[in-house]
Amino acid sequence: MHADAILHLNLNRRGGVSRRSFLQSASLGITGSALLNQFRLNAAELKKEGRSCILVWLAGAPSQMETWDPKPGTPNGGETKKITTQSPGIEIAHYWPKIASVMNDIAVIRSITGKEAAHERGTYHLHTGHRMLGIEKFPHFGSVVAKEIGDPQSDIPNFVSIGQTLSSGFLGVQVAPFIIDRPGQLPDNVFNNTPTSRQQRRLALLSQQESDFADAGAAALVKEQSKLYQKANLMMLSPRLKAFQFDNEPTTMKEAYGKSQLGQGLLVARRLVEVGVPFVEVRSGGWDMHSNVFKGMERRAPDVDQGLSQLLIDLKQRGLLDKTLVLCMGEFGRTPKINARPPVPGRDHWVKNFNLLMAGAGIKGGQVIGKTDENGQEIVDSPVEVDDLFRSMCHAMKINADMELHTPIGRPVKLVESGTVIKGLFG
Amino acid sequence: MMLKRGQSSSFRPCQWIVFITLICLFLPTTLAAAPRKNAKKKAPPLNLPPLKTQEQKMQLLGYIRSTMPTRRIARSISFSSADLDQALEQELGPTSQAVFAKTIDDETFIRRVYLDLTGTLPTPEKIESFLSSQNRNKRAALIDELLETNEYARKWSKYWTSVIFYDSVANKNRVNPQALEDWLAEQFHKGAPWDYITVMLISATPQRNKAVRNDYGQKYGPNNFVLACENKSTELASQTARIFMGISIKCAECHDHPFDNWKREQFHELAAFFHPYTYKMPDADDPTVKTVVKPRFLLGEKPHEKMKSDARRVSIAAYLAYNPKNYWFARAYVNRIWSELIGDGFYDVDSLGPDSDVIHKPVVNRIAANFRYKNFDPKWVFRLIMNSNIYQREMRTMSSTSELFTAVRPSRLRPDVVAASVEKLTGHDKKLHQEIMQVFDINPSLPQGALEGSIQQALLLMNNTTLQSKLSQSELKQKLIKINSNEELVQTLYLNVLARHATEQEVQRNIEYLNESANREEAIDDLIWVLVNSTEFRTKR
Repeated sequence: MHADAILHLNLNRRGGVSRRSFLQSASLGITGSALLNQFRLNAAELKKEGRSCILVWLAGAPSQMETWDPKPGTPNGGETKKITTQSPGIEIAHYWPKIASVMNDIAVIRSITGKEAAHERGTYHLHTGHRMLGIEKFPHFGSVVAKEIGDPQSDIPNFVSIGQTLSSGFLGVQVAPFIIDRPGQLPDNVFNNTPTSRQQRRLALLSQQESDFADAGAAALVKEQSKLYQKANLMMLSPRLKAFQFDNEPTTMKEAYGKSQLGQGLLVARRLVEVGVPFVEVRSGGWDMHSNVFKGMERRAPDVDQGLSQLLIDLKQRGLLDKTLVLCMGEFGRTPKINARPPVPGRDHWVKNFNLLMAGAGIKGGQVIGKTDENGQEIVDSPVEVDDLFRSMCHAMKINADMELHTPIGRPVKLVESGTVIKGLFG
Repeated sequence: MMLKRGQSSSFRPCQWIVFITLICLFLPTTLAAAPRKNAKKKAPPLNLPPLKTQEQKMQLLGYIRSTMPTRRIARSISFSSADLDQALEQELGPTSQAVFAKTIDDETFIRRVYLDLTGTLPTPEKIESFLSSQNRNKRAALIDELLETNEYARKWSKYWTSVIFYDSVANKNRVNPQALEDWLAEQFHKGAPWDYITVMLISATPQRNKAVRNDYGQKYGPNNFVLACENKSTELASQTARIFMGISIKCAECHDHPFDNWKREQFHELAAFFHPYTYKMPDADDPTVKTVVKPRFLLGEKPHEKMKSDARRVSIAAYLAYNPKNYWFARAYVNRIWSELIGDGFYDVDSLGPDSDVIHKPVVNRIAANFRYKNFDPKWVFRLIMNSNIYQREMRTMSSTSELFTAVRPSRLRPDVVAASVEKLTGHDKKLHQEIMQVFDINPSLPQGALEGSIQQALLLMNNTTLQSKLSQSELKQKLIKINSNEELVQTLYLNVLARHATEQEVQRNIEYLNESANREEAIDDLIWVLVNSTEFRTKR
């Protein structure tokens, strides 16, 4: 494996060096630009030991019985077989051979119990830790992480999502997800081929134009706007932008993650985590298998199997897994009983028991938490509520789950309402 | 089938008299919002005409409307923009006189009015002709003129469609926001009253056509409010209260409202109205335990016990729009339009807590009452506000409640308006349009003060390749290149991009830039770039 681009750039994980070198270049010849002069770059604060989180979201809600809790040979089991894994005693569905080979790093939770059986509501619940009920729009967990762990002066966003996701809700634009659609390429509109000197003249003129508008009564808007332009300019100049782009990524590495959108997205996620982005979400769609669940799994699983297992291997090899929480989940589970939907039966929505994977950030791998009965209908051991899950996520990220967030009308709400950290999850 | 006052109905009187009596008699005697549990006598049998089709429903509602008590009062009432100014100045008190912002000049006025009524910028020709007009009533005349345009109807139909759909989690295959927008545009264009539009939306009962894939009746515009709420009783209850009454009762779904009078039971009584059968309220502690809840509107109105679900939708629309005690209905519309025009509302549009949160309540209530006397004519509200001094003041960001309405708040333009401003310069490009719509998307129900821009917005306007190349090849650019006089060049630029003349200082500054540039054509690109990236370009001043 090649030493990666980041080392060549002589960057630390928070991009401190990049900023200093940027300041050096920025100090040349831009004294006329009030906009650029407003940059106040504080030294990067090394917060929370550089922890990060990668959320692998399986949109549509994958079937628990075709993923990490197979029940072959039972009336509900269907065609799915089970395979042994690297961890003796842990068996998962046969669609996932590569995940099986890295099971020592993974904790399987088989006893999640949810409350929302509709996609949008379940997605909201499993992204925010809150049910979609009140008028408050709760923030995506990624926004909470960006706020608590992210560097507010960062030259690239603290929360990146590969694919559309939920918003930062009442936490606002500073910690909103920065969404990209094409993994491996620079984000839209960050490139500008205007020569620096011309760009600086433009910005200088813009700053005068802005100052007139501020004087005319729009001071508050202008102030916010120039902050955004500073941030945008910082981002355009950021050496860390290279993390989005695969130019220097070895082909072997790109192939190791798989050529799928998801695989390439996971490679971007690793690269972003590596340069200090604290939260990255990567989405995989097509898991809503009301019909044809077994063939559907055969089609969908390989990309995730390859990408996710490679992500864990790669993070571990780079010494990043200890501080990176990796989550793989969907919004709920699917009916244990196979439906009679023509032409090929599948499974419908089910919230009573479903499953997910957690790894990294102090989580003890090679273990299963929770158990369902023989037919997969009931949880028979260690039920885990969504609140318990979020408490555990906070624990892994060293964020205080009991902290209060404030809604726009000043109402304090707890980050996580109740629950306890999942017992035995951390080593 | 528009609801006209005094319009004769095809129903025989004896049929609906029963119904009207029901609606009027059960109006509450007080406004106390706590639920009452009076033992009622057994209701007499109900003999209603069929209310299956939208037409039948609207005929009945038309009759109810024509019997509204406000009909009599309306004949002798007038409330002008001057009355509004006087009322608000009185409310603000004598000290406010000193802090009132100056009245805007004609140029600022025409830009502001165009943006508010059409969502587009006035052309340079239109600006020049407006400035040179000697007509003393030209501002009022322009407002009247623009209210009759298709652009007015389209702009506000986009706004309301966005209000209804912004937070909707309905499956995209089961809704058709475009059909709603088109229907609303038609209504706004022909001046349909707000109560008519509302009751059409609330009383709709979209039917699923099982023979056609994904046909939930969404092609028919008015069905889409109900469909946006997934036809779920709880969602219909909270969205009806939010959008059409301006009150937030959603929290009451799970617990008694923390600050307001609304009780959990009241929320479920409202939800029961929208339920086709027997509505059951889940227990607050144990959701598996459920109790039957009878429909009851927020002010205590109860539908006839034997009423079918279609008729119940009609009655809820009637209680919403025609119960004279329900002043929330008229006020919610007035407050929305006011917020959009002035930049701040009398309260945050859809999250009204206790009544004490309403500032200058006598003023907003007077406008609302007169809106009702004016047959809920949406254009009347625009005329009233836009002809007032309040609307025609210079901009300022106010930070304290006591300062509100002494100036107009500079407001962020909505995505379609930003897109239109860009397209005026570049021509239409589908991909660019979509990108702007997505990147500039904002929740139409949030107050301006709570809105924020994004890095993506800045990046798009700074660097987007399509935008840059289109600007560089634009008609405007070609026009500017041909102008020899620098001053004329700068003026043409400002008129086309910001819809105003450049100030002397701006002219100087831009001429200097041109003179210092080695390449004139590039310099012109730079000047366009600067204005497109200015805060003013995406702001209503």
